[in-house]
Amino acid sequence: MAIQINVPTVGESITEVTVANWLKKDGDLVKLDEVIAELESDKATFELTAPSEGVLRIIKQQGATVPIGELLCEIEPSVEEDKHRASAPNSKATASTASAKSTGGIKEMRVPAVGESITEVTISAWLKKDGDTVRLDEIIAEVESDKATFELPAEATGILRIVAKESETLPIGGLICKIEITDAPAVASSPAPAAVQDAVSNSARDASYAAGHPSPAAAKILAEKGVSASQVKGTGVDGRITKEDAQKAQPSSPMKPVEAKTLVSSAHGPEGGRQVRNEKMTSLRRTIAKRLVAVKNETAMLTTFNEVDMKPVMDLRSRYKEQFKEKYGVGLGFMSFFTKAVCAALQEFPAVNASVNGDEIIYHDYCDISIAVSTPRGLVVPVIRNAESLSFNQIESEVVRLATKGREGKLSIEEMTGGTFSITNGGVFGSMLSTPILNPPQSAILGMHNIVERPIARKGEVMVRPIMYLALSYDHRIVDGRESVSFLVRVKEMLEDPGRLILGI
Amino acid sequence: MQYNVIVIGSGPGGYVAAIRCAQLGFKTAIIEKYNTLGGTCLNVGCIPSKALLDSSEHFVNAKNHFKEHGIDIPSPKVNFTQMIKRKEGVVKSNVDGIAYLMKKNKIEVYQGVGAFVDNKTIKVTATDGKVTTITTDKIIIATGSKPTPLPFAPFDKKRIISSTESLALKEVPKRLIVVGGGVIGMELGSVYARLGSKVIVVEFLESLIPTMDGTMGKELLKATKKLDMEFYLGHKVTSLKNNGREVILKAEGKDGKTLELKGDYCLVSIGRRPYTDGLALDKVGIETVKGQIPVDDHLKTKADNIYAIGDVVRGPMLAHKAEEEGVYVAEQMDGQKPHINYLLIPGVVYTWPEVASVGYTEEQLKEQGRGYKTGSFPYKALGRARASMDTDGLVKVLADKQTDEILGMHIIGARAADMIAAGVTAMEFRASAEDISRMSHAHPTYMEAVKEACLAATANRPLHM
Repeated sequence: MAIQINVPTVGESITEVTVANWLKKDGDLVKLDEVIAELESDKATFELTAPSEGVLRIIKQQGATVPIGELLCEIEPSVEEDKHRASAPNSKATASTASAKSTGGIKEMRVPAVGESITEVTISAWLKKDGDTVRLDEIIAEVESDKATFELPAEATGILRIVAKESETLPIGGLICKIEITDAPAVASSPAPAAVQDAVSNSARDASYAAGHPSPAAAKILAEKGVSASQVKGTGVDGRITKEDAQKAQPSSPMKPVEAKTLVSSAHGPEGGRQVRNEKMTSLRRTIAKRLVAVKNETAMLTTFNEVDMKPVMDLRSRYKEQFKEKYGVGLGFMSFFTKAVCAALQEFPAVNASVNGDEIIYHDYCDISIAVSTPRGLVVPVIRNAESLSFNQIESEVVRLATKGREGKLSIEEMTGGTFSITNGGVFGSMLSTPILNPPQSAILGMHNIVERPIARKGEVMVRPIMYLALSYDHRIVDGRESVSFLVRVKEMLEDPGRLILGI
Repeated sequence: MQYNVIVIGSGPGGYVAAIRCAQLGFKTAIIEKYNTLGGTCLNVGCIPSKALLDSSEHFVNAKNHFKEHGIDIPSPKVNFTQMIKRKEGVVKSNVDGIAYLMKKNKIEVYQGVGAFVDNKTIKVTATDGKVTTITTDKIIIATGSKPTPLPFAPFDKKRIISSTESLALKEVPKRLIVVGGGVIGMELGSVYARLGSKVIVVEFLESLIPTMDGTMGKELLKATKKLDMEFYLGHKVTSLKNNGREVILKAEGKDGKTLELKGDYCLVSIGRRPYTDGLALDKVGIETVKGQIPVDDHLKTKADNIYAIGDVVRGPMLAHKAEEEGVYVAEQMDGQKPHINYLLIPGVVYTWPEVASVGYTEEQLKEQGRGYKTGSFPYKALGRARASMDTDGLVKVLADKQTDEILGMHIIGARAADMIAAGVTAMEFRASAEDISRMSHAHPTYMEAVKEACLAATANRPLHM
């Protein structure tokens, strides 16, 4: 089967390349890693190497300009190799892939609708190779949307024909792959000739109940890295995860660097580490990027600041920390204080809790507070529902639950949609002051920062107090300065005198 | 003194936890109530019982089997005093070994009873009454367990005895009654049966070693009857008295008939209970449930910095389970993420033949409604077993009906205790029965029975049957 060679991603701003020179002719036999062509971008020249041995079939002629990702040429397995297969003793050659008899039916697998607001997904990893035999319901690929990752099970038993490549983005309904339906899966124990062994035995291997089972040492290493066994491809017998597999496993890098391997820059730079790595943005990252720019362009965002003397909250917390933990089994953090204060203030200033929908303003009589959680995959914003009616311990447990799920990548789309106001805490990373960016369609976001002892003046005297700067970014289209500033002052008042939280004054 | 970790109890759970803590760089102390380290296991449990089991086994061989091997000796006699003396030597060299390990790892040893003052402070009261107070960041409770007495007949330690006293008797009893046909009762019962005692076992349930696979209990019953042991299964003990010269036991059968037995001693081995006396757990807000210290999945107690391991917490009361938990807790304190697969903690009975088992029993699989296959292979058909005249026993392998994954391995026979490790390894890697049967096993060995049982489980095709 021919291997297709596409134009690889060569640089940040490069969108197309020109075929400067074919070093091999159409029909030539090429070897693995042999340079077959020179490509030119507006910045540099690159060499294209053959990813496998075989006969070259040129598709884009010399001088042609080709966009990144488009087909350049194909390499067909060489005649010699074919001969070798045919003459190999006991060889069933390519037939062994087809030894599971094809019934002629083809199942087309398309991107399923995965959630209301999701319009496209990215193939983050193929777990099966083109030509592999797959079984019904066997997981064949991992697919990522901007909100979640999910697994794609085979919709039929048969031979996999991949259509969408790894890291390709497809709209809902887009064709992912085809499965040539066979009546029975290839038998695992039939001896396969070396030349085709890979394709067949790989699939038989993945079908084992033990595939993906980590050895005791591997399980410990994975747990410590925070990598789930399902993200690791086991190289042990029947796909078991060996200690070495676990050692090599990378936490949370869903995308592999684009095949930079086939490209060698011919422009020799100065010696010493000057390597760059091209990684396609994940679907999640692209969505974040698009949204952030949109917010800047489409809202009238500005930020108001204030400072809070954290001593009262800190005192209260240290006084009741242990009792709280003992009674509720969850730590008493600052999040509950901030959430309570915010909810009280939101109810006084409904515009801050509102959102814009075209010409309409939507006011909410409930407070669904989105909390920003940093995860290895990027920022996610799960929602604490009806935070106004929750007690301190309920808020804390909810924060812990959502943050844990977020870090494990297990948040459902539902858990991340529909907030009416956001809180983000840059303080955990040491931020002194920042201007948070709105989480549309919400109209305001509160930024918490680090707590630092600062000298402040009180009644004519200088004293040292733990101070946190607060920032409230808001959409000036619907929130007036009076409201936003008063809102933040209310939050400050309540935090500096937590008794107000109880009394509602 | 201020420590990072204090371990209370120096049994196999406690001392292993202490060593692992020290290896990880924690400043560690260990508290032991008795004068020697090692806890029940080394002083009055696993090690001394194995010493006596081996001695008595040698005696049986000399008496019954040497002749057939072609070794003619005058009829051997038991020198019980020497046997107990040798046992004490074995115990001493083992507990000295632990003392050396503590020193080597720079672990401070405090002799005395540890009691909580608060969750960071422990008061140690030594046997001589001296009180020392030490403080720490974290604490591991590893205080182990004690034999459970019959509710109506406390141990008098003279004729109504626990395993502890049975390991240091002054004489070989003429008649020994054993209440409880579990692991401890069967092991110590066979010691004295071999040495010439008439041993009578009274068990409440209908089978011996009832927590293990049913086949094992049946086979053990057959094998130990050859030692002239007598069994009353399904009998509930209703009274037990020591009249000064002998013990009198009354029991009631399922059929309502009363049984009366007399003996020189009665070994009560009906189980063990977690031991937390003198710890002052109330000072740190820990309440025991049925004697056990409740812990979460990470062996943490209600108090944030206090962990508990081994016999004082849930799970089987086994030295090697406690050891795993000791390592687990220490590594967890270091921020590592170890795990313990409780299903794969093997259970062993050191009778002869030995019994060893790992994974699910056939009874459990039936209860789960899981589809399974069974493969057995008898020692009788094994060349190695015939050569050594150890032909009692069998290997039983249970495998998933669909995937052939090994779900349980149960062995009764010579060297079963050592062989079961292969079952643990296979199951940790989720091997199938066929996987094992496709691995070369040295010939002639007892392990060939495992391979053959796997062949039998895979597709009922053992080679030597």
